[in-house]
Amino acid sequence: MLNINTEKNGNELTFKLSGRLDTVTAPELEAPVRNDLSGVSDLIFDLKDLEYISSAGLRVLLLAQKTMNKQGKMVVKNVSEEINEIFEVTGFSDILTVE
Amino acid sequence: MNKKSVKDMNNLEKLHNSLSAKTVRSTIKSCIIFGLICQLVALTFFAVSITKQYISVATSTANQAKLSTTNGADAVGFSKSIMSVYNSLSEDERQKMGTEEYRSYFNEADIHAKGNYDDLFNILNRIRQYSDVFDVYIAMYDVENQRVIYMVDTDANIDTRLYPGEWEPANRDGMLKLLDYDKNDPLYYIEYTKKYGLLCTVGAPILDDANRLCSFMQVDISIESILHAMLDFSLRLTVAFIIVTISLAWLQTKHIKKALISPINQIAQASQDYVKDRHNNVSNTEHFSNLNIQTGDEIENLCLAMADMEIELSEYEKNLTKITAEKERIGTELTLATAIQASMLPHIFPPFPDRKEFDIFASMEPAREVGGDFYDFFLIDEDHLCTLIADVSGKGIPAALFMMISKTILQSCAMLGRSVADILAKTNEALCSNNQVEMFVTVWVGVLEISTGKMVAANAGHEYPIIKHVDGNFEMLKDRHGFVIGGMPETKYHEYTIDFKPGDKLFIYTDGITEATNAEMKMFGNERLLTALNQSEDTSVKGLITNVRSAIGDFVKDAEQFDDLTMLCLEYNGNCL
Repeated sequence: MLNINTEKNGNELTFKLSGRLDTVTAPELEAPVRNDLSGVSDLIFDLKDLEYISSAGLRVLLLAQKTMNKQGKMVVKNVSEEINEIFEVTGFSDILTVE
Repeated sequence: MNKKSVKDMNNLEKLHNSLSAKTVRSTIKSCIIFGLICQLVALTFFAVSITKQYISVATSTANQAKLSTTNGADAVGFSKSIMSVYNSLSEDERQKMGTEEYRSYFNEADIHAKGNYDDLFNILNRIRQYSDVFDVYIAMYDVENQRVIYMVDTDANIDTRLYPGEWEPANRDGMLKLLDYDKNDPLYYIEYTKKYGLLCTVGAPILDDANRLCSFMQVDISIESILHAMLDFSLRLTVAFIIVTISLAWLQTKHIKKALISPINQIAQASQDYVKDRHNNVSNTEHFSNLNIQTGDEIENLCLAMADMEIELSEYEKNLTKITAEKERIGTELTLATAIQASMLPHIFPPFPDRKEFDIFASMEPAREVGGDFYDFFLIDEDHLCTLIADVSGKGIPAALFMMISKTILQSCAMLGRSVADILAKTNEALCSNNQVEMFVTVWVGVLEISTGKMVAANAGHEYPIIKHVDGNFEMLKDRHGFVIGGMPETKYHEYTIDFKPGDKLFIYTDGITEATNAEMKMFGNERLLTALNQSEDTSVKGLITNVRSAIGDFVKDAEQFDDLTMLCLEYNGNCL
């Protein structure tokens, strides 16, 4: 189960995620990341209610980060201890801007 | 629901429940209801019209008798003299009615009227016989005492015949109706008397020259005869109606058999043949399409729908066969792919039977037919053993394809004898260069110098390795992590050194182990993994891996395996030479 709450404010786009971002649910996030980022200069991922992220979920974050590297900046907010641990282990904390 | 189907019925029940039997029953039922209504209407009409007819005949008889008696005899004078005698009598004297004394009062009146009674009697008696009515008589009412006083009575029965001046209690409503002769036409009333049965009395007033009422010419007709006629009529109607009902039911059944039952039986037979053919694996039948039912109604529609269904089912079956064949083909290919993937990983243990310096054991268990995890170990040269474990993002065939290429590149780079950081960096560049799908792989790689026990390792986003020194427990080594491979070009990796003493062990694994999830969505986790390793009774490399696997099995129980499970264990025995 994954819930994606999208908020658009000018050039700023926020994805609020809750639930589990795994192999089954990652395609639900991949679609907006692939299609809705044109014209966005600030992309924010709010992971406050995200319980779990798998490698398939990390892949979507990587895709978003690579896209934003070309057109603006991306920030990941409200990262829980468990998810931060995953970012640390996989080295994603090196390429993501975690606030 | 205990509904009985046609199949379970015996022949008698089938006959009872057959459509023709139902038609016969319903036809008879509706005919009976219709017939009863018809009879009721007909009888009412019959009774009303025949009674009217009788009354009209009786009225003309009364008028004829009145004319005959007033012209041919002196009915007026006779009536007046009888009534004057009656009126002069006291009530006591009137009660003596039927006695000789009482009659003698009135005989005088008749003698006074010059034997008028006999003339009147003869005229009326002839009229009665001629008209075939029940009674013709002249009478007058005593309103005060509600009596009818007879002047001349021609009752055929001498025992009940009344003589001049004799009286009977009068029917009050009838009396009032007749006395009001100006307003009522025709003048009649119907009453039931014990003496004569159901009677209809018709009256014609006899008036004197001054238009004063002297008496009534009355004619009684018996309604009993009307009732008899009605009964007769009803009987004939019933017989006719039974004949009509039976023939209607017969005709209806014949029609139903032709229009309904025969087509239904054809469809039923076609269904049975269809089922029989299916049991015998005969397909592409045309049982329904071959039926020739042209009733133009719902039955024909049903037949057409069944024919369509037969064609649709046949088409569906063809498609299903195709899809099943396709699935079987994919299944076969996947089985082959599983075998190829398994054979790509070193899977014969011990792998280097003549090398006593180390023991190694590993296992990979994909969640689906093929997986994205892999492990590898190989000798770079006589003194260097490369061990690595990796996890491709995602699962299934895409991950397996990416795993194959990653494994090949990693081994090629390692065989060039570069440093571990260099192996990872070069592999990263190779995988990034043509990566259209943002897939990546986490890798832990270590190269052991067998002669010294010094291992140089690097971590590209993979799980922490677990180390056991000979006199300690298994513990996580929180090493420094680089970014995953294939994610970003030009990523740099750090390498570090682990010193192995004889008896030291290395356990590396993928996140499928720590993230194995049970039905309550709880993860196996690092703590359970360390416990399983430290509490294992069998401390050989194979025994450790077997123990971890069974601990995971006990934890997740029947929950579905989400991720690939991959582990590798290495024990350093020291330089035994």
